[in-house]
Amino acid sequence: MLGVRVLVLSAVLTTLSVCRAGAQSDSNYDDVKPVPLLTGSTGFISNFTGGQPDLHPIITPLVLVPIGRQWLFETRATFETDMVQVPGRSGFHGGTVQKEVEYAELDYIANPYMTVTVGRFLTPFGIFNERLYPVWIRNLQSDPLILPIGIGPSNASTGAMIRGGFKAHPKFNVNYAVYFSALSTVSHLDSDRFAGGRAGIFVPSARLEVGGSFQHGLQDARSNAFGFHFLWQPPALPLDIRSEYARSIQGSGYWAEAAYRLSQIPFHQNEFRRTQVVARMQQYFVGENAADSLRPANTRVFEFGLNYYFMDGLKASTNYGRQFSDAGNANVWTMALTYRFVVPLGRTGSD
Amino acid sequence: MARRYILVCMLGIMAALTLSAIAQEHANSAGSPSAGTPALASAAPTAREATHKSATSTAAPDAVEERVLRLEGEKRFRTNCGRCHQAPHKFPPRVMAAAIRHMRVRAMITDEDMRLILKYMTQ
Repeated sequence: MLGVRVLVLSAVLTTLSVCRAGAQSDSNYDDVKPVPLLTGSTGFISNFTGGQPDLHPIITPLVLVPIGRQWLFETRATFETDMVQVPGRSGFHGGTVQKEVEYAELDYIANPYMTVTVGRFLTPFGIFNERLYPVWIRNLQSDPLILPIGIGPSNASTGAMIRGGFKAHPKFNVNYAVYFSALSTVSHLDSDRFAGGRAGIFVPSARLEVGGSFQHGLQDARSNAFGFHFLWQPPALPLDIRSEYARSIQGSGYWAEAAYRLSQIPFHQNEFRRTQVVARMQQYFVGENAADSLRPANTRVFEFGLNYYFMDGLKASTNYGRQFSDAGNANVWTMALTYRFVVPLGRTGSD
Repeated sequence: MARRYILVCMLGIMAALTLSAIAQEHANSAGSPSAGTPALASAAPTAREATHKSATSTAAPDAVEERVLRLEGEKRFRTNCGRCHQAPHKFPPRVMAAAIRHMRVRAMITDEDMRLILKYMTQ
């Protein structure tokens, strides 16, 4: 309890000092007035796990409503279903469409160093949940095995968060997020009570980002979770390297992924520059207090994939994975077509 | 006790980094000839070094400055946006302004990067 008080008090003091400093500098935003947007992604994903097929259509609309010069309301929902083959019947049959508001948050950009967020927000533990989760962004359609660690039920928190990014040194930027989440048992809006933070250093010249996350539970076992992330895009190559490690009482593990765009191949350039090959290795170790959202047994997965970008936002993906687990080995095939859409909800001129 | 120590350390580091950034920003603003746009002004010298050879001697100073900022904006765009996803095509200015505000919060890009990227993406 004392730790939470220290966290809150320190956050308030930091907020006051930063707001004061920000007020002294010129923080006028640019003249272009933003328009509300309906954006998001849609996808049709087919999985074949151990020979069992399932079809997974998903649509994820995101609404952005800029308010004035410093406010932003954003909310994202998901509509999805799983369609499987039912014995004795032909074709694929789905259950009800699952509907969920993933987050609904109000952001106040207080100054160049800090944004205050309240509401329901994606838990900033690691990088995948916040930054790589949408189907049009991720290089491989399957979730990392360690994704559920540290992000709470429904992948989100309910409470408040302070975050920002700034140039801490001429050579690197720092980004940070500290948050508190309250307990919620409302269906589809559930969250756990915890506090935590994430910090990262980004070196633009090397296109390298490293960072770490920490979270302290404030209910049940009051356990801690921590993790590290790493992103690197070598400036000389069209290569993305990403990796994460996470550890908690529920389990631990890592994933490492490399994606190479074939734009350097000198022939059939129009086709190859749209093509990306991906490989990912990941491993998960069961913890002493296993959760339903995590695998029940130690698991290792190797995946290889191919992405083809038809145009901006429209991508076809296919990947093969081999899963080694104490509960049994399996092959996993995935094929997907994903699309990112942007629909302005107002005039789009420059006024 | 250990948990409290970790929390205090985390917040102390965060506060120290924030204050150092503020001090640096003030130093940049004080040394800049155009204090009205400190972020863009502080970014311009580095980009200018990279492009001054290509600028013709007859070009107007404003045009050179615009070109410098545009090139720097493109560089920041590729560096920041490409960390997570493929670089998108340009959208109309007001759409881009909303998207960049969203990315400022989500991807925690800096104020300076946001301004330069928006400038590049709306030209």
